[in-house]
Amino acid sequence: MSDVLKEIAPSKIERNPDNPRIFFRDEEMDTLTASIRRYGIQVPITVYSEGSHFVLIDGERRWRCARKLNLKSMPALVRGKPSRLKNILLMFNIHALREQWDYLTIAHKLPDVIELFQKENSGREPTEAELSELTGLTRGQIRRCRFLLDLPKKYREILEEELALPKQFQKLSEDFFIEMERALKTVQHRVPSALNTLNSARDALITKFRNETIGNITDFRMLSKIATSVKRLGVRETKAREALQSIFDPHSKIGIEQVFAQQFEMKFDERKVILSADSIFDFLEQSLNDSSTTKISDQLRKSLSRLHRLIERFLKP
Amino acid sequence: MPFDTFSERLRLVADESLALCKREWGRNGVGIEIPISPKIGWQPTFYMKPSRVLMIAVEVGDRLFPDSLRGAAHDIEHYDFPIAVYQACALDIFQKDPGQARVNLLRERGIGIITVDDAGHSTIQTRAEPLAQHISREKLDSALTELTPKLKVKFRTAHTTYETNVGQGLQAASQIIEALIDCIAKQAEAAGVVAAGTSAKDAALIIDDLWAAGAFHNYRAVLGAARSFLREHRNPSSHPSETAKKEATRTRKCKTGFLESLRVALELRKIIKALDYKILIV
Repeated sequence: MSDVLKEIAPSKIERNPDNPRIFFRDEEMDTLTASIRRYGIQVPITVYSEGSHFVLIDGERRWRCARKLNLKSMPALVRGKPSRLKNILLMFNIHALREQWDYLTIAHKLPDVIELFQKENSGREPTEAELSELTGLTRGQIRRCRFLLDLPKKYREILEEELALPKQFQKLSEDFFIEMERALKTVQHRVPSALNTLNSARDALITKFRNETIGNITDFRMLSKIATSVKRLGVRETKAREALQSIFDPHSKIGIEQVFAQQFEMKFDERKVILSADSIFDFLEQSLNDSSTTKISDQLRKSLSRLHRLIERFLKP
Repeated sequence: MPFDTFSERLRLVADESLALCKREWGRNGVGIEIPISPKIGWQPTFYMKPSRVLMIAVEVGDRLFPDSLRGAAHDIEHYDFPIAVYQACALDIFQKDPGQARVNLLRERGIGIITVDDAGHSTIQTRAEPLAQHISREKLDSALTELTPKLKVKFRTAHTTYETNVGQGLQAASQIIEALIDCIAKQAEAAGVVAAGTSAKDAALIIDDLWAAGAFHNYRAVLGAARSFLREHRNPSSHPSETAKKEATRTRKCKTGFLESLRVALELRKIIKALDYKILIV
């Protein structure tokens, strides 16, 4: 059946129970309402017919605004009823191409897509690439969703509560949980003895972020660095463990940045300098061995001279 | 299921504010998530009809004074049923409104505010009056700017009465106009501009005498406006009308009358000043 454009009363339209979108923030809705009130609905919503009413495929925000504004009718493209998998995938693809949903929204619906795919493919689970092709999401986005999906229920609920708040009141974001989970995964893998339980670490990090002991979600990358310092820099495991435990202690006022700056930053910087020095050494040695490239620019000569003088001062006993 | 399009947090606000409204105004004519009328471009979260001449409509949301409400204010004011509008929100949203800017917008427009805290306790922070009746303090203050302190006090008192009873409030405003006419007449009498005994007459007749006096030739337009104001608004009904439609009309008429009284008082004050008279009202 080809699509038909109709004017439909909002009261005859129902929500799609499979719409993954669960957060409709009033602030964003207000902007759309203002636009619709002034200019009308410019893009028809998409629905399918079911009995005496219609079910939304795309356009729940416009439909909600139309109801709020008590519009008599709204333009809608009426399609044939899709299968459940097609219904979900249609919604995924519309939003992957247009406005991005919250990751948690997608995360909630991914298991349905996987399950329905399995039913249609003799129980075979889709690969990440297949999921990406089906949903229109990048593989990176799918991985981020899985981080949220793997969160224990309690933390998913905390995130849901936060996402339902107006933007200015949100403290914990999806990015917070994704960064925190990545870091904890690294800790669990590299210094498992630093963790009492994963949940107690999560609770401490959330508390410290809320009370601003942890100032930024990018601090979690330093947490990963501390955990990897044992293998990468040869830091003693007990030192890394104690540092991590002080961060996971909910009663301490110690943040990640503080611990990293005091105990690990210098070592990472040293490592960076060693790599740079090696690179300079390689370049110079190769230049000396190769007569055709021994002529270096004045600018490099000047920089090397400055460096030479500084190194001499630095290495003087 | 009612309020099923809300998040859990907003559902609590909707449930508790509905419960509060039922305690406050009864359960008559409750409508949930349905339009009041095709004539109003706004669908409240819920409404109720506590009396045959008053409707309470509530908008639940995190966004204070949303665009839908702003856009519907005119429709609500001119609808044939007096509607008092409330916005219900979480207590946090109310308290953290930056500079109370949006809270003040609601108050200025005569929209009441209901808050619900995390534990589900609901409170009416500001009471609403029907939008058709509402004259904001700001509008009143700006209309009073050029009046004398005594007249300002008189009109503010009349406005306070108006907020609870439109008819009595308008009556109080009319009495101020009558007092100004009387004051002009007494001083005109003393100056021999009008015949002795003029001030003892009925206000309308005083205006006729002043109108005929040569000294008032330049002020005939103002006197005409005062006369027509008194004819129209001197004896407004203090009691609610029998039907919602009549009540809506009465309310709108009282509002027009009250605003008109402010304009007439300002013009009469200009006459008093121009003739070098004094405002002698008790």
